Amino acid sequence: MEYFIISLLNGAIYGLLLFMVSAGLTLIFGMMGVLNFSHASFYMLGAYFAYTLSPLIGFGMAMIGASLLVGSVGVMVERFFLRRVHNYGHAHELLLTFGLSFIIAELVKLFFGNFPIDYRIPVSLDFAAFRIGGADYPFYRLIMGGIAIAMFALIYLLLTLTRVGIVVRSAIYKPRMAEALGHNVPLVFMGVFGVGAALAGLAGAVAGAFYTTNPNMALELGVMVFVVVVVGGLGSLGGAMIASLLIGIITSICVGIDKSLADLFSLLGIGDWAQDIGGLLTLKLSSLASTIPFALMLLVLLVRPSGLMGEKEHL
Amino acid sequence: MKPMKFGFVLGTTLLLLLPLVLSQSLLNAAIQMLIAALFACAFNLLCGQGGMLSFGHAAYFGVGAFATLHAMKAMGGVGLLPTPLLPLAGAVAGLAFGMIAGWFATKRSGTYFAMITLALAELLHALAPHLKSLFGGESGVSAMRMPAWGMSFGNSTQLYYLTLIWVLASLGLLYLFTHTPVGRLTVGLRENSHRLRFLGYDVHRLSVLVFAVSAMFSGIAGGLQAVSNESANYVVFESHLSAVVVLNTYIGGVSVFLGPALGAALMTFFGYAVSDLSRSWLLYQGVLFVLVMMFLPTGLIGLISWWNNSKAQYGFVRLLPVAILWLFAVLLLTVSSVFLVELLQRMFSLDYRALASVNPVAPWPAITLFARPWFPGVATTWLPPILIFFTGCWAVRLARGRWQALLDNADVDASLSETAGDGVKS
Amino acid sequence: MSASKFIRPVVVACTALLLVSVTLAAPLKVAVIEALSGPQASTGLSYRNATRYAIDRLNTAGGWNGEKIDLIEYDNQGGPTGAADKLKAAIADGAQFIVSGSSSAVGGQLTDDIRKYNIRNPGKEVVLLNLGAEANELTGEKCHFHNFRFSSNAQIRIKALVGAMKKDGVIGTRVYSINQNYSWGQDTENAIVEYASVGGYKVVEKTLHDVNKIQDFSPYVSKIVAANVDTVITGNWSNDLLLLMKATKASGLKARFGTTFLDQPGNLANAGDAATGHYIAHLFNAEAGGKEGEQFAEDYKAKTGRYPAFIEGQAVQGMLMFGEALKSVKAQSNNLNVNAWALALENTKFKTPMGELRMRAADHQALVPVVVSVVSNDAKYKVDGTALGFKPIMVLTGEQAATPVPAACKMQRPTQTP
Repeated sequence: MEYFIISLLNGAIYGLLLFMVSAGLTLIFGMMGVLNFSHASFYMLGAYFAYTLSPLIGFGMAMIGASLLVGSVGVMVERFFLRRVHNYGHAHELLLTFGLSFIIAELVKLFFGNFPIDYRIPVSLDFAAFRIGGADYPFYRLIMGGIAIAMFALIYLLLTLTRVGIVVRSAIYKPRMAEALGHNVPLVFMGVFGVGAALAGLAGAVAGAFYTTNPNMALELGVMVFVVVVVGGLGSLGGAMIASLLIGIITSICVGIDKSLADLFSLLGIGDWAQDIGGLLTLKLSSLASTIPFALMLLVLLVRPSGLMGEKEHL
Repeated sequence: MKPMKFGFVLGTTLLLLLPLVLSQSLLNAAIQMLIAALFACAFNLLCGQGGMLSFGHAAYFGVGAFATLHAMKAMGGVGLLPTPLLPLAGAVAGLAFGMIAGWFATKRSGTYFAMITLALAELLHALAPHLKSLFGGESGVSAMRMPAWGMSFGNSTQLYYLTLIWVLASLGLLYLFTHTPVGRLTVGLRENSHRLRFLGYDVHRLSVLVFAVSAMFSGIAGGLQAVSNESANYVVFESHLSAVVVLNTYIGGVSVFLGPALGAALMTFFGYAVSDLSRSWLLYQGVLFVLVMMFLPTGLIGLISWWNNSKAQYGFVRLLPVAILWLFAVLLLTVSSVFLVELLQRMFSLDYRALASVNPVAPWPAITLFARPWFPGVATTWLPPILIFFTGCWAVRLARGRWQALLDNADVDASLSETAGDGVKS
Repeated sequence: MSASKFIRPVVVACTALLLVSVTLAAPLKVAVIEALSGPQASTGLSYRNATRYAIDRLNTAGGWNGEKIDLIEYDNQGGPTGAADKLKAAIADGAQFIVSGSSSAVGGQLTDDIRKYNIRNPGKEVVLLNLGAEANELTGEKCHFHNFRFSSNAQIRIKALVGAMKKDGVIGTRVYSINQNYSWGQDTENAIVEYASVGGYKVVEKTLHDVNKIQDFSPYVSKIVAANVDTVITGNWSNDLLLLMKATKASGLKARFGTTFLDQPGNLANAGDAATGHYIAHLFNAEAGGKEGEQFAEDYKAKTGRYPAFIEGQAVQGMLMFGEALKSVKAQSNNLNVNAWALALENTKFKTPMGELRMRAADHQALVPVVVSVVSNDAKYKVDGTALGFKPIMVLTGEQAATPVPAACKMQRPTQTP
């Protein structure tokens, strides 16, 4: 039982981290139709900027500073790169962001080296919140979760209750109409891209201290973020939250399950036959823990391609 | 038609004569270039002609490679599939897997289609290391190329001819495919699949067919690589290879049949040559890619057609200065940025920083670049490349100005000749 | 307009450039094929640097046959396919020795390709010097005469590790084994189980997880906590080890760690004081080498600016042993006969600061000394700019550390003696 609670807690926090990074991506996609391959690179930049700023202005200020810096990088990317290729079609925009992710990763390696860097939680935050199941639960994890939930609440309220939010939502839904009504839609695009990037940067600054900070961060998290966005629904904030929690919790719980399909079959009495066949049937669920999100993504795409909470597909 | 046919014959002859000119290592590079070119053209069938951007095409390449290797192990160079015919195994596997995957993937369109192909490839990549009997774990499956039909296939030259024949035949078949009714329908898929539906065609079945054919030729490319390397590893399913084929195709240009082949050949050669010369070659590749996407949206083939059209329209004499100016500008920019990147890379590397910190008081030690020492602390190291860079930017502006002047003059000439023509008429 | 027209001038121009570099000369050529760019570059570059240092030292001492040894670098672009390509390029450029070490997958590809090349080209054989790829099969079922491994394997490391930890009285009776789900991790897991009686412990639970895919190790740490163990033994490296240790520290788990790759740069800096008291079985520790170790470390620092870290020490010793065997081989018509070199190597006893290094003829696995160290504040050489370092507690000689010849290795020796 305790194991279940711990897995739930761990999975939820990991899921909230995924949400922080994918929130920006799903908003950007919903608005511009651009699947931003360099989004995970913004995550990485956030961690590296925070690492550089931390000794200068303190940990908390460095987090904010890093996310602002990454936000401005995002704005520049949108203004100088994406806008140019907007007319050539979605494929070009996508490939451009892909090329950018390469460039960002290589620049990081150029300036900071290939090895992981020493970006750590400050000692003042490095204590246990409570004990459960014989182990400590670090306070910093709760902070991470708190920041993610605060982020979600903030964006949601911003989008639904403020005037800016209404303009943004209409630009997402019908950009031409919003433009015709006199709103500066390119500015809105730039702003949303920048905010999305800043969110990813904040996530990097927060998580980079807890996990590792190295030049391959973007690759490691990148694919999972896509899975979240697809499962949740491209463009839906609530969907991203649900999907990230789902994926986080499923991954966390599966790690503890050492059973395989063959064990399931043994319940039906044909366990030995399944064992003999081997291959896929004897694979333990625990060693497949990080493969399951992809199976989930495939399932969602086939059954309900617009994701759990996305808009119906426009043909 | 004639100049094209002549060009085609000339090109093929040159490819056939290549082993006489090239060293062994370059010949190996040529084999890889040919395989990449075939893969890119097969991908373009789906993407450029069918309008379905697939992000997981490495799956079919990899499936073809593994199938060929298992066939190599099973047959031992004789029987139904002697060594030269081994890529057929890759073709069959690619076709079969492509049909299954395509059936699922083409149920959706646009971004969702791309996501499904990505998910399939990632799923395969995640499962492959666990299915040891099929994919051999992380050391992969390996076999040995056996002699057949009187040839030993032990050296690069024979391997090159085998690959060349397969690639030329496959490219020929792909080209013929585009001229069949199904091939024309493929373009219809891209242009307006809605209308095709109303014209009575089963769009889903058509998409699956196109997907399967594209996967089949990808499988042949995979099979050729398996024959060349005599092994395959599950890392072939990584997203990196899927991304590389998309990159190559778009860099080459999707609208012309041989565009992707050009892009793939150039980028493969670039990787091959530059990866040993510079540690930052991935950065150069990324920058090249971004620049092509931004300034040459029709790809490098677009550059060739720009040249031809402009030559026809403005005359070679007036076009030449503009072209030379552009070339000069690009050269300046390349030289200065490469120098700066290499200098920065060495300066920030761990080894150099360690060396510099040995004696904190002394000025930073020299960095050897292009066989000359450069001191990072001195302005004379940084000023020349920066100056050259700005000269390059200025040259770009000049080139743009000349090109604009050319366009304006052409308009003026056109309107003048119109009024003159009117005058004569009246 | 045919694209082939475009390729031709490019290729011919580059041919002209590259043909210049092909020479017919006598200098011995050694090629290092490593991941010099991309995600695995950090380890690849370490191997490259170590090899360069060693070859420079051999050249300063006179090279071979009166000429300097040529070291050429090739970037395998991160994977076995790139490695296969660059191997062909290296052989075409005249390399007779191929050096590699960072990846078992690449090592497997290279050893197979070299074996096939040697079969097809008798008299022009090429040798693989494996400085670090530790999968068992490389000297097991994939062994062949022209393949030499200068580092250890899973069994050697685990045997040394549990022996030393038992002697120190820290291993306890309950052990948890967590490893990566691929050949190295599985070899390590099997070794941990095999040496349970030597270490006097019981393997309470074994786990295999995906390689370099997991960010959040807390579920695994929960399992370890639930298993109530004294020691955790793992062969994890890079992110997998670092994240595991960070998650362990965050949960306040008091188990001791026995590792094989804790000395990777960045690990101690990131783990901080949480790493104190953990053990590692590795192949080089300058402090354990006494005077010679100190001399070597200082010389390495003078040439490269840093003390040898991680695999650099063992890689340099391996390459120096290669040079030692070269000394007794005379040139035959101005070229090196690699079979003669190989036989010389099998009879070479090379003295390293860690002890004597010898090459076992049966499977070409080196009998390499192993050092077991503990992370502590009193270490002589501090690591990663922290106050911590690796303090050696036990050194096993090559013979003591050795494990039996794998039954799967059926090596065919060349019939003619040069």
